[in-house]
Amino acid sequence: MHRFLRISVLLTGLFAAVSVYAAESLQTTQMTEDSLGPLVEQPIEFPHNRHAGDAGKGGMEINCMYCHTYARRSAVAGIPPLQKCIGCHQGIESVREAPRIKKLFEYWDAKKAVPWKKVHDLPDFVRFNHERHIKRFVEQQNRPFQEVCGYCHGDVKEMTVARRSKALSMGWCASCHQKDHAVVAEGGTQIGSQAYWYTFYKPEATDGSTDVLKAKGPNDCWQCHK
Amino acid sequence: MMDSGFDRRDFLKVMGWSGAAVALSGCGNTSIEDGKETVVSYVEAADFVIPGIGVYYNSSCAQCDAGCSINGKVREGRVLKLEGNPASGINNGKMCGLGQAGVQHHYNPDRVREPLLRNGNQGEAISWEKAYALIAEKLDGVSGEEIAFLSGGVSGHLKVLLGNYLSSFGCKNHFVYEALSPGVVRAANKKAYGVEMPRYNINKAKVVLSFGADFLGAWVSPVHFSQQYAQFRNGADGQRGVLIQVEPKMTLTGANADRWVPIRPGTEGILALGIINALGTATGDIAAAVKNYDKVRVSKETGVPPGQIDKIAAILKLRSPSLVLAGGAAEGYAHGSQNAAAINLLNHVLGNVGKTIVAPVTVPFPQMAPAKGNTAALKSLNDGLAAGNFKVLFNYAANPVYTAPGAMKFKDNMAKAEFKVAFTHYLDETALQADLVLPLDSALEDWGTQVPEYMTEGAQINILQPLMENLHPNTRGMGEILLALIKQRRPEEYKNYEDYYAYLRAALVQNKNAFGGHSMDDDTFWNETLTKGIIKLAGTTTALNGGTNVSSLKLPTPAEQDEQFPLQLIPSVNISLRDGRNSNQPWLQESPDPLTTIVWDSWMEIHPKKAAELGIVEGDIVEVTSRVGSIKTQAYLFPGIHPDAISIPIGQGHEAMGRYAKGYGVNPFKIIDTVFDRETGELAMHETRVKVSKTGQRVIIVKDESAAGAKQVREKIAGRVSTDNVDLSKEV
Ligand code: SF4
Repeated sequence: MHRFLRISVLLTGLFAAVSVYAAESLQTTQMTEDSLGPLVEQPIEFPHNRHAGDAGKGGMEINCMYCHTYARRSAVAGIPPLQKCIGCHQGIESVREAPRIKKLFEYWDAKKAVPWKKVHDLPDFVRFNHERHIKRFVEQQNRPFQEVCGYCHGDVKEMTVARRSKALSMGWCASCHQKDHAVVAEGGTQIGSQAYWYTFYKPEATDGSTDVLKAKGPNDCWQCHK
Repeated sequence: MMDSGFDRRDFLKVMGWSGAAVALSGCGNTSIEDGKETVVSYVEAADFVIPGIGVYYNSSCAQCDAGCSINGKVREGRVLKLEGNPASGINNGKMCGLGQAGVQHHYNPDRVREPLLRNGNQGEAISWEKAYALIAEKLDGVSGEEIAFLSGGVSGHLKVLLGNYLSSFGCKNHFVYEALSPGVVRAANKKAYGVEMPRYNINKAKVVLSFGADFLGAWVSPVHFSQQYAQFRNGADGQRGVLIQVEPKMTLTGANADRWVPIRPGTEGILALGIINALGTATGDIAAAVKNYDKVRVSKETGVPPGQIDKIAAILKLRSPSLVLAGGAAEGYAHGSQNAAAINLLNHVLGNVGKTIVAPVTVPFPQMAPAKGNTAALKSLNDGLAAGNFKVLFNYAANPVYTAPGAMKFKDNMAKAEFKVAFTHYLDETALQADLVLPLDSALEDWGTQVPEYMTEGAQINILQPLMENLHPNTRGMGEILLALIKQRRPEEYKNYEDYYAYLRAALVQNKNAFGGHSMDDDTFWNETLTKGIIKLAGTTTALNGGTNVSSLKLPTPAEQDEQFPLQLIPSVNISLRDGRNSNQPWLQESPDPLTTIVWDSWMEIHPKKAAELGIVEGDIVEVTSRVGSIKTQAYLFPGIHPDAISIPIGQGHEAMGRYAKGYGVNPFKIIDTVFDRETGELAMHETRVKVSKTGQRVIIVKDESAAGAKQVREKIAGRVSTDNVDLSKEV
C-alpha cells in the first residue's frame, strides 16, 4: 500500500510539473519559417551590415568565412578570436576612437574574452554540423557563402547584431531536407537504422537502378542526436 | 545495499514516465534559447586550435604505478578523453579502466582548492605565501631527525628534488609507503634472481603457473601483462599457452585460467615444494629440501588433490619454458618470504631463469629510479610517531589513516606530531588530521617525470605535462611546492629556476645527449620530448645472479583449526579500487567488480558450502569479527573461494574523501591483525583470522549479474569437469 502511495505521489508531482511546462510553452507564439527570434543585447553591438553588407549600402563585403573561419572546418562554428578583430582594427585609425572600438580594445588590453551571447542556440541534444553543410553547398554545388549561411542564419549582412530569423526546429530542418536535398547513398547498402520519426524517410531505390538508394536527409537519429 | 520499501524497479518505472513526458514537451521550438548562454571565444588562438576539433597531447597516467603513457584529447581547452600512447613499450597504446577514470580525478568536485590551515575543527583558507612561511617557521629550530616525510612511491625529478629538500635540513626519515606493494616478492626475487623485479616474459612461456599473482588485474603492470598474455594465448609456437592459477580466492586472472586451483590459504610454498618433488628432476640440496614433500603430505596440508599435483608437474615437464609467479596471495603471511622463495625455487628447477625471467633494464640515472613503497615503512613511521620522535610530519600521496591496520592506531599516533602537513588533492582521512593542507594540481595539470619500476625491453622516462590549464587557480604542482620550499633553504642553488617547469626543462635539456638529443638544439629537443611524452634511452641491464640457497627455507605446517576464529580473511584487491586512493571516481564505483558484478559497495565472499553450514544466504548482513575489531557487510555466495576463507575487497569504507567515496561499504584494513612477514617486516595482509555471524538483516545486493536474488551457484554456463577428472595435457 505504502509503495503505491509513494509512486502515485511521485507521478502526480511529475504530471503537475509537465503540465505547467506545457502550458507555458503554449503561450509562446507559433513560429513561421521566417519569424524572428528576440533581439539579443550583446556586450558590443557588432555591425554585421558594416562588415559584410553590400558596398552600395556602406558595407565592405567581407566574406563570412574571413571571420567565421571555423564553420567550414568543424562541426561548430565557434566565435572568431578577439585577435582577429584587433588584427584589422589596429590598422584602421579612422574608427579607432569610436565607442565600440574603444570597448573592443579594452577587452584586448585586459586580455579578456568578449562575453558574447549565443543567438543561434540549439538544444544540447541536437548536433548540427556546419562543415558538412558548407561542403555540400559551397564546395560541391558552388553556391556563394552568403547564400548558404543565410539558409539558416538569415540575411545577416542586413543586420547589426545577429538575430535569429529561422525557426531552427526539427520540423524546419526536415522541411528543407525533404523538399530539395535528397541524399544519395551508393553501394546499395542501407544507411543506418532509418529514422521514420518525423519526416525523415528511409532510403528508397530509384527508378531503374537496383544499387543506388535515395534518401531525403539524414537516415539515422544519431546523425543529429548523438 | 538498498533496503527502503521503494525499490529500484518502481523508481525506474517512474523515471521512464518522466522521460517520455520530457520528450513530448521537448518538441517544437520551446527549447531553443536565444541570448541566454554566453559563448566565450579565445582572445588569441593558436592556428591549430579549432573549436569542436580535438588537439592531442601525450602525457603519463598517474592512476597507478605501472607508468603507462597516455594521449589526451583536449577540446576547447578541456581534456575530454584519455587513450594509451602507442609509442610506449609498457602499454603500447592501451589503457585500463582505472586509467580511463583519470579525468574524474581531474574534474572531481571534491578537490581541495585553497591552502587550508587548521582552526579548531575547520580549515581556514590562507594564501600560499602564508603557508610557505608557516612551514619555514615550524621547521625552524627542529632537527632533521625530528622531521618525517611520508610519501607513496615517487620517481623521476620529483624524487630528486624531494631528496634534496630533505637533505637541506639533514632529514633522513623518508618513509615510502604503498599499502599494496609486492614488497615480499621483491625481497625474494632479490635473493633468487639478484634483482627485485626481473622482466617476466609471459609471452614466451608455454605454461604459466601463478600463485595468486593477479597479473591481468592489479599486479605490477597489468596493461603490459595483459598484452603479453594475449600473445601467450596465441602461442609462441602455435600451441596455446596454458595458465594455471593457484589461489584461495579467485582473481580476474584466476577466472581466465585453464585450471583454477583453490588452495588452503598460506600453503602456497608447500605446494611449490610438492611440485618440485613431483617433478623429480631436482638434485643435491634442492632434492634434499623437498624430499619430505610427497604428494600425500602436500595434498593433506594444501587441500590440493594428489592427482592435481601430478598433472601440474606433468604439464610443466612437458612444456618448457614455463613461468612461475608469486603474487599477493602467496606473500601475505608471516612466512610470506618463505612462500615466495619456494615458488621462485620452482623457476630455477624448471630452468626458466634466463628464458622467461630475464634481466631488467634500468635508467642510467639512479637518483631518478623509483623509491618503491612498502608496508614495512609504515610500521617504522608509526613506531616513531608513537614514541613521539617526530615533531613535523609531511604526507604526500599516501593515506595511512585509511590504509593502516586498525590495531596500529595510526591516527592517534599521528596526533603526537606537533605540525602535520598534507599535500593532497582531496580531504581524505589523513588530510583531515593535518594542520596544514596544501592543494595539489591534478595529474592532468601538472609537470613531472616518471620512471616506472617495471619496464620492458628498453628503458624509458615518462613525461607528465599539463593537458589543460589549471581548473582551480589556487592549486599547485608537487614539484612547484617542493621547489618553493627548497628555495627557502638553498636560495642560491635554485635561484635560476623560476618554476618547476624551468627546473624540469633545464634538468632534461642539460642531459640531452644521454636522451638521444645530440644533434638537436635545446628547443628542438625539448619540443620533441614533449610531443612524444616519452624519452626512450638505452638502459643499463643488471644481470641476474641469484642463487638457489635452500638452507633457510622453512615452511610452517598449517595451523590447527582455530575454534574461535575459524576463517581466514582475504582482503582482496579489486582491479578498479586497488588501495582505495581512487575510490572517489564514480566510474570506478560504477564499474562492476569483474567476478561478483557488485557496484558501489563492499561485500563478503563466502563459499556456498560454508554459507550453508552457517545458514547464510546472499544478501545477509553479516558481522565479520577478528581479534582487532569487526565490520558489517552483505554476504555474497561465491564458489571461487576456499571454504576456509572469506574475502572482503579493499578500497571502500572511506570516512572522508568526498561524496563518491565517503560512506560506501566497509574498510577491511580496520580489522586486519598486525602480523608482519618475519624476514622483510612487510605487513602480512592475509594473516587475519575471523569469525562470521549473522545480524538478522538482509538486503538485495545491487549487482549486474542476473536478477536480484538469483544465484550464480550451480548455474552451468559451460560444461564443467571436476578438476580431478581432467587431463591437462589433453585439454590444450
Ligand atoms: S595500469 Fe596503471 S598506469 Fe596503466 S593505464 Fe592502468 S592505471 Fe594507468
